[in-house]
Amino acid sequence: MADRGLHHDSRTKGTMKISRMWILALAVFATLGTASSAFAQTVGVSWSNFQEERWKRDEGAMKAAIEKAGGKYISADAQGSNEKQVADIENLITRGAKVLIVLAWDADAVVPAVRSAKSEGIPVIAYDRLIQDKDVFYLTFDNVEVGRMQARGVFAKKPTGNYVFIKGSPTDPNADFLHRGQLEVLDPAIKAGKIKIVGEQYTEGWAPEVAQRNMEQILTKNANKVDAVVASNDGTAGGVVSALRAQNLVGIPVSGQDGDIAALNRVALGEQTVSVYKDARALGEAAGRLAVEMAKGKKAKDITGAVTWAEGTKKIPMMSLFLKPVPVTADNLDYVITGGWATKAQVCKGVAAAKAPKACK
Amino acid sequence: MSAPLVEMIGIHKHFGALHAVDDVSCELYPGEVVGVLGHNGAGKTTLIKILAGVHPNDGGTIKVHGRPVKFASPRDAQRVGIETIYQHLALADNIDAAGNLFLGRELRTRWGTLDIHRMAHEAGKIIRRINPNFTQTHLPVRAMSGGQRQTVAIARALYFNAKILIMDEPTAALGPGETQVVKDLIMSLKREGIGIFIISHEMRDVFDVCDRLVVMKNGKVVGTTKVSDVTEDDVLGMIILGKRPAPRAEAGTR
Amino acid sequence: MVLVLIAIWVVLDVLTHGLFLTPRNLYNLSIQTSVGAILACGMVFVIVARQIDLSIGSLIAFTGVLTAFAQVNWLEGHPTASWVLSIALGLAAGIAVGMFQGWWVAYRGIPALVVTLAGFLIYRGAAFMLADGQTIAPLDETYQRLGGGSAGSLGVGASWLLAVLGCAWLVWNVWSTRRERGKYTDSPPPAWFDVVKVVVGAAAIIAFVAVMVSYPDRTRLDDNGNGPGMGIGIPVLILIIVVIVLSFFAHRTRFGRYVFAYGGNPEAALLAGINTRFLVVKIFVMMGILSGIAAVITTARLNAGANSIGQLAELYAIAAAVIGGTSLAGGVGSVPGAVVGALIIWSLDSGMVILDVGSAPRQIIIGLVLIAAGWFDIAYNKRHSR
Repeated sequence: MADRGLHHDSRTKGTMKISRMWILALAVFATLGTASSAFAQTVGVSWSNFQEERWKRDEGAMKAAIEKAGGKYISADAQGSNEKQVADIENLITRGAKVLIVLAWDADAVVPAVRSAKSEGIPVIAYDRLIQDKDVFYLTFDNVEVGRMQARGVFAKKPTGNYVFIKGSPTDPNADFLHRGQLEVLDPAIKAGKIKIVGEQYTEGWAPEVAQRNMEQILTKNANKVDAVVASNDGTAGGVVSALRAQNLVGIPVSGQDGDIAALNRVALGEQTVSVYKDARALGEAAGRLAVEMAKGKKAKDITGAVTWAEGTKKIPMMSLFLKPVPVTADNLDYVITGGWATKAQVCKGVAAAKAPKACK
Repeated sequence: MSAPLVEMIGIHKHFGALHAVDDVSCELYPGEVVGVLGHNGAGKTTLIKILAGVHPNDGGTIKVHGRPVKFASPRDAQRVGIETIYQHLALADNIDAAGNLFLGRELRTRWGTLDIHRMAHEAGKIIRRINPNFTQTHLPVRAMSGGQRQTVAIARALYFNAKILIMDEPTAALGPGETQVVKDLIMSLKREGIGIFIISHEMRDVFDVCDRLVVMKNGKVVGTTKVSDVTEDDVLGMIILGKRPAPRAEAGTR
Repeated sequence: MVLVLIAIWVVLDVLTHGLFLTPRNLYNLSIQTSVGAILACGMVFVIVARQIDLSIGSLIAFTGVLTAFAQVNWLEGHPTASWVLSIALGLAAGIAVGMFQGWWVAYRGIPALVVTLAGFLIYRGAAFMLADGQTIAPLDETYQRLGGGSAGSLGVGASWLLAVLGCAWLVWNVWSTRRERGKYTDSPPPAWFDVVKVVVGAAAIIAFVAVMVSYPDRTRLDDNGNGPGMGIGIPVLILIIVVIVLSFFAHRTRFGRYVFAYGGNPEAALLAGINTRFLVVKIFVMMGILSGIAAVITTARLNAGANSIGQLAELYAIAAAVIGGTSLAGGVGSVPGAVVGALIIWSLDSGMVILDVGSAPRQIIIGLVLIAAGWFDIAYNKRHSR
């Protein structure tokens, strides 16, 4: 259109006006286009209760992965309240989230909020904790496998005798997945009469004090005839070990999960047998990365490694991705040290040279 | 002519925009009973609470025994001999008679702890002086009758040797028998030279015990008269209409 | 309420085939109850003064993490009393928070429910942020003894000494009360009544110590399985001190008298010249100190400073105080009653674990006991006032 030169007759003027309009229009659409693609990658994360130790690590990795993929991270903390989590999710959607990562406080209470997200075409990733809805993408470590690893670690040290289960929070579905995995491994021995369950209690809020109190009572009930304790996480394992210490029973096999520094130290000291380590950074990274992909339109079934899984209590089939946890025992403590999760000083604090595991020498 | 026990000169008190007490002046002489009358909200209770040390006045002077005083708390007023018996008696009903009598002014042992037995003893003594039939003084106040509670409140004022007594509606919750007891008490205190301010709505009682009246309306003094110079109707007119009494009455001094 | 407690103990003992009333279980029970009882005693003053404190659980987490953090990160490698300093730091934090909350309630007129609810949220968050969410463990060896575990008790000698002192104090108390009263009255109460008081009290003290002493320290058994008796656990000793001090405050000091007067009639207290606002601040400061103490015992017992400790502590403290006779209307309360209330709650809870009762039914049962106690409180008060 510029070939006409700059003769200022009315036709030229009009045509040039039109051309300028087109350039302007093109520019506007281009900006809008990039703007909308920026909005398209806002990832909303709804945390259930940021107070627990590990979620900070998850967040760090998630944020990095989201930003690396060109997205934006926004979040909210429900502080342990169902009502607040529902409000948080609605709020994240209002703030422009195009995909949601939800760490559910209660697997069932959060479903209405998830459905409303679905109705707006926003994909939802259930992070670590199950949300029972057929369109949700369940991303977690294989919690049943965690339970199996906990039981295997303890069983390897003590294949026969009196066992105690210190389970997780009764309102957390993960607690039952863990227990299911634990029973899978131990069932044959239980049926054969080699293992006897002499105590089993949930631990409200996963609180260590509650675990300690329950363990004390179970020890009283069995006159200390307890040979192994399958504890479902490191916090409760800590409570269990304190109860054992007062009865001079420290050293019997105890399991845990999360890779808490204090727990890794206990493993080095021989007070805890195994802490199943789920690298929260790997989970966070996967969630962040997959979220951005889903926001850009990728379908759940096209995600590498995704499987259909229907083992929830309602048996709803869901697309899921399971990451593999790592059982950390005295033999492979250097895994967490070289992986940068904990320092050698932290893990080996107070370990006597004579009894030190390999990683502490 | 004796000097006044209490002089309140040009007292002002504001609560936000409300001018509760507006340029009020009055006096109290030894052995005299002055009635403070007026509608609800006239400023009577605020005025006596200022004298009792509960509210600081915003303007004006208070003189006790001729000397100007400033009260930062009820204790300051108590220290110069002013005792108050409030309309609702200001008793903690979960505590016994002795505890209430000595509230804020407890007797203590030489180690600084509460001397409960001495307080119980002293309280019992003075209560029985007023009302010989009242023996169960160790019960919490909530287990006492209205008259018994009144006795405790009065005993409190007497024990600490009030020179100036303020009574807010002393007979309002009492039956005729107990009212007579209170009236007799007021007369005997008069004879001891104690000056008494009484707020009351009971016109009969006012005319029976008071020597002078101060009538307030909307925070201001309508008039001060001797009881002998006015009738009940005059007083009602002052209270309701703010009408000054007939010229026969003079602002009273003795 | 003591009768209710005894009834519960008897029933539990029968149901557990004699396990409940063994020295071991009673020792454990005394330790498990100590923290809740300490908090309940303080809560009596709070409720008597017509206030409430919902922040103590979160405050326990905050001061607990602070104490642990200081011990492990700042004071490690310093002289042995470093754990004493860490405790002092935790208590100082409790005092500071108490002053802060008390100031808002007393001098700014914000209802205690609102201020302490804010505290409930704030201090748990602060506990998390303080250590970046981590659980700090293990803690100093000597410090751990404050938790009542191995070597965490007074031992045989000191426990019996305390028993003798307790009985001696009982006798002196009764005798001096008779003497004081005798100064003012010609008809003292009959002597046999006081004798019974002394005998029953002494019997209770001796029975308690005898039970504690017959529980051997598991970590110091010889080859024959015999070992030195534990005696009174240190958390229990702390509880006893707290009960004595707080009871003394309630009955013998102006502070206690003013708390009850304020609770009975706040206006009367004000008109009597009492500085009621400062009084309210003092009550919250006291609660802050007790939270700090509770945090020390909990973290020593757990050998860890975790930001998840103290959950629901405030509610159990209120429940124990109410079961023990403290009225939510204010003005009425009992410190020893709160201890009995705490014992009732924790006896039920821990006894039911021995019976393999799950967590949900346990919570229901304890909730029902609380309702029963509340109803009893109302009915009893109705009968005793006109």
